[in-house]
Order: sequence, then structure tokens, then C-alpha cells
Amino acid sequence: MIAPKKITLTIDGKLCEGEAGQTILEIARTNGVVIPTLCYMKNLTPWGGCRLCIVEIEGSPKIVPSCTTPAQEGSKVNTKTDRLVGLRKATLELLFSERNHFCPMCQLNKGDCGLQHQGLAHGITGIRYPYLYPAMPVDVTAKYFGMDQNRCILCTRCVRTCDEQEGVHTLDVAKRGIKNQVVVDMNGTFGESTTCTQCGACVANCPTGTLFDKANAFRGQLVSCQQVLTTCTECSVGCGLKVFTKESRVVSVWGDPDSLVNKGHLCVKGRYQTWAEPRERIITPLIKGKPATWKEALAAIRKASDAAKKTERALLVAPRVTNETAQTIAKLAGKIGRIASYVGSNEAAFVAKPEYSANAMVKLPDADAIIIIGGQPSRDNGVVAATIRTTVRKRGAKLFIFLAPTTNLDQYANVSAPTPSQDESFWNDVAAKLAGVQRPAVVCGPDVTTADGKAVLARITKILADRSPLMVGVPVSANAMSLACSGIVPVENVGAWLAEKPVKFLHIVASDAPDGGARLLEDSAVAAQLKQAGCVVVQASYKSALTDAATVVLPAAIWCEKTGTVTNFEGRQLPVRSVLAVAGEAREDGTILESVFA
Amino acid sequence: MSKTPVKKSTKKPAAKPVVAAAAPKVKVATMWLSGCSGCHMSFLDLDERLVDLSKLVEILFSPIVDTKVKDMPYVDVGIVEGCVNNTDQEHELKMLRERCKLLIALGDCAVTGNVPALRNQFTLKDCLIRAYEQAESNKICCIPNDPVVPKLYPKARPLAEVVKVDVSIPGCPPDADTIWFALTELLAGRMPQLNEKNMRYD
Repeated sequence: MIAPKKITLTIDGKLCEGEAGQTILEIARTNGVVIPTLCYMKNLTPWGGCRLCIVEIEGSPKIVPSCTTPAQEGSKVNTKTDRLVGLRKATLELLFSERNHFCPMCQLNKGDCGLQHQGLAHGITGIRYPYLYPAMPVDVTAKYFGMDQNRCILCTRCVRTCDEQEGVHTLDVAKRGIKNQVVVDMNGTFGESTTCTQCGACVANCPTGTLFDKANAFRGQLVSCQQVLTTCTECSVGCGLKVFTKESRVVSVWGDPDSLVNKGHLCVKGRYQTWAEPRERIITPLIKGKPATWKEALAAIRKASDAAKKTERALLVAPRVTNETAQTIAKLAGKIGRIASYVGSNEAAFVAKPEYSANAMVKLPDADAIIIIGGQPSRDNGVVAATIRTTVRKRGAKLFIFLAPTTNLDQYANVSAPTPSQDESFWNDVAAKLAGVQRPAVVCGPDVTTADGKAVLARITKILADRSPLMVGVPVSANAMSLACSGIVPVENVGAWLAEKPVKFLHIVASDAPDGGARLLEDSAVAAQLKQAGCVVVQASYKSALTDAATVVLPAAIWCEKTGTVTNFEGRQLPVRSVLAVAGEAREDGTILESVFA
Repeated sequence: MSKTPVKKSTKKPAAKPVVAAAAPKVKVATMWLSGCSGCHMSFLDLDERLVDLSKLVEILFSPIVDTKVKDMPYVDVGIVEGCVNNTDQEHELKMLRERCKLLIALGDCAVTGNVPALRNQFTLKDCLIRAYEQAESNKICCIPNDPVVPKLYPKARPLAEVVKVDVSIPGCPPDADTIWFALTELLAGRMPQLNEKNMRYD
């Protein structure tokens, strides 16, 4: 690869170095020259709409926006002349005059607002233009966030985020002139939108109070919160999280922009479902539904566990616990009895012999064809789905979907076959469509382990044999592959596994699963086994039908209260950091297991 | 208040600096239009600095002093809290503008309209029906129609849309420190330069 040509230019009298093709703003920022912006955002296509980043280039009568103007070798750029500052002030005053930009009654108060910051930085006290007070719509139909158009400055950061990061393009601008506004789909609402994935990336990128999280609106400023970087444990992607906390509660969750996995992007599970959802937390041990001390609970468990033979004891682990908990289980294996992790359908064979797809999230955007087999990334792995969508929509990659129910990805697919045909002509057509593809990527989900899945994979492997495709396997369960590596057998038919030998003592580690482990009870065979077992211990964070059915319930720490590591589908070992103190008498999974079995 | 026609000031316009720091004391009038009085409260938050201020300034006319004068006096500085909502407020504001040399818009209501201007999105009729016929606390009443009651304008307006404003101090309310900075700068003969370090909008 040829290194980009270095160029040098003078910005505000300072000699600045950059690369050919970079904009004036980018070079100014890397060289420490501050140019005010509102609509500019790193990782989004420059828009040039807010006109705050205007600069003068010596020798040219024109004023240009620095975010869209490529820098030229040897040019002399001024960013802070009286003329520019005056124009910026006028621009800001026009922005302030248009809609409701009155700070006292804004949810995004005191320090988080880009417009407020620029107004104060430019010393704007009053404005010279009459206020317009238009009545703009407010949309609070989305589950986790709302949009108050009265606060909008039409910077289109949300529109570009929706298009370029999530790849769904739910948001766009409509109407002309003074009536110009952001719209959802065809002027609909978030609630009835079929394209919106509720990922909330637009909320995080909004510089004003227009888009807001319902769970933290009017509850203080993010700039005064503590920030902790941790890892999402809701699926196997392992996105980096930036968690904002204040006074022992989570205020907001953003993507970690420096994470190589998600590059700041998140799906609805990681951004909202872990904390913005009301759930009943278990904070003390319970014996037959009644609060008890740890001593009493452990004594009751010890009595039941000692009464059962080793072969009559079983431990079921949710495939979301940390690697450290898995190691603790492996260490205690001799004392526990039978051990398994309960995974999703068709996942047992998928994760049993882990093949990590190293750097898949970095390589995937470079693919020119993506073949999905037996997986539903848009349901299970939102950020993988977003990467696929943007790769297909923005970089022109072809998309093939086999053996997966129809989702919002199918509209971009060249071939979408929920039940692939065995017909030769169908596969000849697929081969024809894949002709000329140089860098194919095959994204497999758990259903690839079925007979149909294996057949499809064989066909695709044959077609792409000479092109060494990037093979990516994305499980649904968060840490199932790593648990399998620690010797914990993945099991999908839990009822049958329990029925193999009589179980008198059953310990279930549901951990911080949002459903509290209730998914296990969906299988009537499991429910029957639970009734037969003499003692069922459930360690969980949230109350559910499973904890109601348990003999003893032990309170477990949630995602933001534990420390450790998880291994994502790329094989990256990612840190889970404690963001908050553990609530009530809850303890971390490994600690609980040690006190129960050691 | 009676609607006496606004008298033209016979005094000469003051040469700059508008407010001289030397004796005699600078004469000040303050006025409370459509606002919550929070800005006057913030002014009182100057606390012991009020003693220093009183050595340099004399407040002749204000909702927070025992005004002895019958009519609005001619002053050096007029300080106005709140925005213009009705006919009476417009009359008072214009009168003060005629009788002061320097007009300060104090607080967000005076500068932007702020909370009173929230009604500007709706028609006046809808607002009155909501307030006097639909609101639980007001259901026994009706829309006031006594001719003594000043008439509301269709829109609440910030001061700058009615008269010329010389200094704007935003904030809801402005901090006492911001008010102190602005007043001391003016007393020193300078226009106060407010920026992110010494003012806020909320």
C-alpha cells in the first residue's frame, strides 16, 4: 500500500501537517487548532450544514466550511478572523431564533448540549432576530427514547448515524425551507416504524435535546457522571460499553468509540435493555420465597446437597457468566457433579468446538459479498447486523441469506432463501451471482449445524472454494464458546440432559439474564424435572417464574456489578468491569459457587 | 396603572461611558414584567455585596424597594425582569426606556421570552380556555373580561422585540455572580463581556 502523501499548511499561523485528502478541519483537529462545529462528527460523512466551521483561505475571496474542504499543500488558513467570528455568531443567533432553544426547560440541561456550549463560547447573550416559535411535533412512541423536534437544529447527525452506522435509514429530512424537519420513515412515528431497530445511536449522537433517552431525561447532566468502560454480555459480539453512572445508578450507556468490535455502535440490547427496563431485582437470599440470611440459605443448600449423591447433583450454567466464573466451576467440578451450560436451539454443536473468527468485525466491512447461513443477526447480534447492512448498503457488497427467517436484512439481499432449494438451477443461479466476488465472508449462525445448514454450507464452500472466504461463526449466547473451552458441556435439550440420571439437587446459575432464567421453564420436560428434584437452587439477579419455583434463591450481581472477562466470537478476551457497588446482599457468580460447593 | 402618555425625555443623552463610577450615586429603576421574580431574588442573592452596591447605586423604583415617587422617575439604568405579555407591560417598558439611559434585560424571560413564551406555539384563545375553563384549579372562574385587566398580546415577546436593549444578562435566573460582574463592569464604565466562564442559559 502506498502511504498517503504528506502535506503541510498554515492554520492560524501554526504550521500543520496532514495527509493529502484530509479536510482542513481534520488536520486542524489533529494539530490542536480548535474550530467550532455542530454538525460534524468523526465517523460520519461530513455534511457542511451548520456553518460554524467556516474558514478563510488566503488568496480566495470565498468562505468555506472546513469540514468538507480538502486541505491543500501550502495554503494559509485563518479560522478566527473578526469576520468569521461575526458570521458564526450570526449563524448561532439564527439557530437560536428558529425553534425552542430555551435552555431552562430542556431535558438536556447544563453542559451536555452542543448548541448551548457554542452559544456560551461565542458570548451570545441576546439575539438580534425575532423568535419564530413554530409548533413542532414531539414523538415519544419509541419504547426507550423520544424526539422533540422543537429542539432540532437540523444538523442531520441522527440521519447520518441511522444511515451510516445502523444502516437502516429510518430517519431523513423532509419538507423545504423553514418547514424542513427530521422525519421517521414516511413522516410516521418511531412506535409504528418497521425499519427502526431502536438501537438509540441517534440519541447518543444528537448534539441538542431533540433525541433523548426516556430513562434519563431531566435527570441531570452526563458531563458530571462517572464514566466506566466495560463489555456488553448480552450476546457473543462483546461490544465495548461506556457506562455513565451517578449516585449508584446507571444514567446512560453509550458505545465505546475505541472498541475494535463495535466502534461506538450498540444495539437495543446493549444500549437499553440491560438498564432502562423495569425489572424486580433480587437482593437477599430467599428460602421457599421468604427472605433469609446467607448463612441460613447456605446451610439449607449444604443439607440438601449432602443428602444427594454426586451423580444426583447437577449444575446448569447460563452461557453468559464470565470466564473467571467458568474457571471456578472447572476447579470445583470434582465436588459438584454433572455440569452443563444451557444454550439456545442448535447452538450446542455450534459452540462445542469453538472456532473463533479472529478480527471478524474489522474484516467484515471489507467483504464484497456476505453470505448468512442459519443465523438471525438482526435479532440476536444487532451490531453484526448493522455492520452487514452498512457493508451492503454503503460499500456495495452483495448479500445472500440462507436458512433464516425473513428479517429487515432480506430487503437488501440478492438471494434470500429461508428454506433453500436443493434444485441445481437455484444453486447455479447463486454461483452466477457470486461470480466475480473477490472477498466473500460467510456469516454462520447456530442453524448451520442442522442437516440443511450443513448442505448449504457445503454448497457455498464449493462455490467459493478458490476464493478462501472469511468464515465467521456468531453464536447467540454471550460466552458459550469460552464455557465450552473450560469443559462445561453446552446442552440445548435441558430436559433430556436432566433425565439422563435422577437429579436430587439442581443448582441453576441464571446470573443476570434479563428473563431471570425463565426461558428454561418454557420446556415442559424441564419444568417436570424441577418438580421432581428435591432441592432447586437458583442464583439469579431478577425475579422470574424460575426463581418462584426454586427452593433457595441466591442473589447474583448484575452486568455492571461484576468484574472479570468474557471472550467474544472473535476470540477477543474483553474486560467486564464493575461500574456500581453490588446491590443489597447480592454477590458475584463465582463467589456464590465457591461458598456453595467448596 | 394609568395610561399616561409617555413623555419624551428632555435630558441630553449621556456621553459614553454611560455609567460613571464617581459620585453622585447612579440612579436605578428595576421592573418586573412577565417573570417569576426569580431574577430579583437572584439580585438579592448579592448578599453583603448589596452593601457595597448601595454606596454607588440608588434604587429609586423597584418591586423590592419602598418606592416613594408617584411616577416613574428618570434614571441612569433600568433593569427589567420578564417579557412583555400584555398592553400594560408594553406601556411600562416603553416608559422606562424613555426615562433611562441604559436598559438591562435581566434573565432569560427578558432576553428570550423563556417560559412565558411557551404559549406562543398556541393561539391566545386556546391558552385562555385551557387556563380558565379547563384547568382543574380554575374551573369555577371564567376568562377575565373586566376592562381594568390589561389585554394579553397574541404572543409574549422578549424585550428586544419591543424596545432597544443595551445589555442582556441571560440565565434562569442569572447567578448573583453574573449580575455582580455585569453591574461592576458597568460601574467601571465598561460594557460587560459575558462568556461561558461567567454566564449560563439555564
